[in-house]
Amino acid sequence: MYDLLVVGSGAAGLSAGIYAGRYLLNTVIVQGKDFGGETAVAALIENYPGYIEIDGYDLMVKMKEQAEHVGAKIMAGWVTAITKKAEGHFVATLGSGETLEAKSVILATGSRRRRLNLPNEEALTGKGVSYCTTCDAPLYKGKTIAIIGGGDSSVKGANLAALYAEKVYLIARGKAVNAEPVNYARLTQKKNVEMVYETEVKEIIGADRLEKIILSKPLNGSVELALGGLFVEVGALPNNDLAKSLGVELDARGFVEVDPFMQANIPGVMVAGDLCNETGGFKQDIVAAAQGSMAATSAYQYVGGLMSTNRSE
Amino acid sequence: MKKVIIYTTPTCGYCKMAKAYFKDNNIAYIEKDVAIDQSAADEMINKSGQMGVPVIAISDEDGGNEQLIIGFDQSALASALGIGV
Repeated sequence: MYDLLVVGSGAAGLSAGIYAGRYLLNTVIVQGKDFGGETAVAALIENYPGYIEIDGYDLMVKMKEQAEHVGAKIMAGWVTAITKKAEGHFVATLGSGETLEAKSVILATGSRRRRLNLPNEEALTGKGVSYCTTCDAPLYKGKTIAIIGGGDSSVKGANLAALYAEKVYLIARGKAVNAEPVNYARLTQKKNVEMVYETEVKEIIGADRLEKIILSKPLNGSVELALGGLFVEVGALPNNDLAKSLGVELDARGFVEVDPFMQANIPGVMVAGDLCNETGGFKQDIVAAAQGSMAATSAYQYVGGLMSTNRSE
Repeated sequence: MKKVIIYTTPTCGYCKMAKAYFKDNNIAYIEKDVAIDQSAADEMINKSGQMGVPVIAISDEDGGNEQLIIGFDQSALASALGIGV
């Protein structure tokens, strides 16, 4: 039986592995379907201490190497279910059908991209609609595109897309975007980006390809906006299926409630990274990494406590 | 032995995951950067009917029986390449 099972290989899970390895906990990190979480597809990271700039995927590889260096085992695969059998005994089932047993668990399953949930959105995904600006923007060379969303991801995405597209509309619901000032400053220098505030997308229209969107209010005299590409950056939803199956307490938006040391309401279960609600909407690698280290510390204390209990019996 | 072509862009994290997966499993592949190679971009869009990367084309050595996987779908890749997940 492992001392610790970490579910997820983003900054939270990998940092947990680094600390757990140094605590000499026999640790396994199950990678999940997407190694490196959101960071691996975030392209350039410029605000993680120690690196002026580093590609997100490369940063996650470095964390993985460090976790393996201190003895954490990182395995491919994904966890489909976890059950608590007894204090200090969790059983996880993987997609392959294999099971793993561990004394403690850290859920670091992160979040997934939110959709607009409009008709045609799914049908036109890949055919003009994309959820990964960093992946797909270069394919829209010379086109007119829009990025929906008012956060830092939108602004970073627009900065990248502006290098390729002829025209970029950044469409946000609010009166302003909420981005790192340095990213926003870069955006304002782009001559081919137009900011569109207090506006939402009401319809996505296209037969085999995206043709246009309908806006909630007119832009340049019309609610119709002909587009070659629409990039959706409207936030994230927590990947909380495993958390739910374990019965941990969630907040109203589905994020896991944790105490100041990342413990969920079920002993032996810790949560770190985007899945927990500790820092609200402020989801960053540095935060996830810190939470991973704290979750690992809680796991170390929990497992140590089990051994004390066993010895006293 | 399968022939593997991956269509990528430079800032695509899923493309990097796919290439790491090939490397970990000793799978040789040809990479086509659709950000700089317009003919490769057209080829990818015509083959796959869509504009998302990565697109991974797996075929026999002579190019026959081509199968396309869109996105980094580890289980589909494992199945197409005949290797473990």
